[in-house]
Amino acid sequence: MEHWVYKLSFAGHTLAFNLDTIFTMWAAMFVLILFAILATRKLSVIPNKLQAACEGIMNFFWNVMGSMNTSKEHVPLVASLFLFILFANLMGQLPLRIIHIKSGELASPTNDVNLTAAMAIIVLVYYVLAGIIKKGGRFFLHEFSFVGIVMALVELLEMITRPLSLAIRLFANIFAGEILVSIALGACAYFAPIPIMLFEILVAFIQATVFMMLTIAYVSSATGEEH
Amino acid sequence: MEQLQLAQLGAGIAIGFGAVGAGLGIGFATKGLMDAVSRQPEVAGKAFVFFLLGAALSEACALYAFVIAFLLLGK
Repeated sequence: MEHWVYKLSFAGHTLAFNLDTIFTMWAAMFVLILFAILATRKLSVIPNKLQAACEGIMNFFWNVMGSMNTSKEHVPLVASLFLFILFANLMGQLPLRIIHIKSGELASPTNDVNLTAAMAIIVLVYYVLAGIIKKGGRFFLHEFSFVGIVMALVELLEMITRPLSLAIRLFANIFAGEILVSIALGACAYFAPIPIMLFEILVAFIQATVFMMLTIAYVSSATGEEH
Repeated sequence: MEQLQLAQLGAGIAIGFGAVGAGLGIGFATKGLMDAVSRQPEVAGKAFVFFLLGAALSEACALYAFVIAFLLLGK
């Protein structure tokens, strides 16, 4: 899976942009922003159909946060991550490949490890900051004893492994799905990929849910009272 | 052996051993789901959601191996 790389030279350094990822990412964000504007344009006490649907979606996130014993103030991050990942994953099943670009192909933006790594780093920064705001210095060192120092070192290690696993998990699932579809396309064109593509729709929902659940778990373990 | 042949051998070994672990994990998850549903059939819907989450988490281990295999083949 090649990417359409655009190289920008700046003061002796070279920045590489994966333009296909940027296009499909903005397409997913455009759909989300359009929905958000249309749903919040004419708010009323008696909601119309679109507003009622969006209120139902937000209610789902509130219920999930409530069932995981996490503060409701973290709903915006969790909800936007879930919706963006879901739209981005489902975009891979659209027939975007008929649009020819210079190299590579238009597919799901989450098949690029740069995008998933960026989201994982956002989650890391968010939960560390939330923990510092909630607990101050006690976020890093819970108690000054041997056990406390060992736990602090383990948590420092987790700050590396958690975003790494978040990024690789989402990227590898979508990427493996696309490889699987292209292999099936080689085996029997048009018929063999159909069940795999239906399975990929399920995977899109599951991976968005997994990313959301892990984000909630990290934030709640960073801000919770018991460690 | 050539460098490329060694890389292909390594890719095969990586994805093979990775798939063993993920297969065991999903098998245990399914066993847990079957146990739970046969004891209490009314929790089937709720247990299935957690089963899907656990299966996706253990499947990710095979996909780490897949990424490593792909990196090896790309060299």
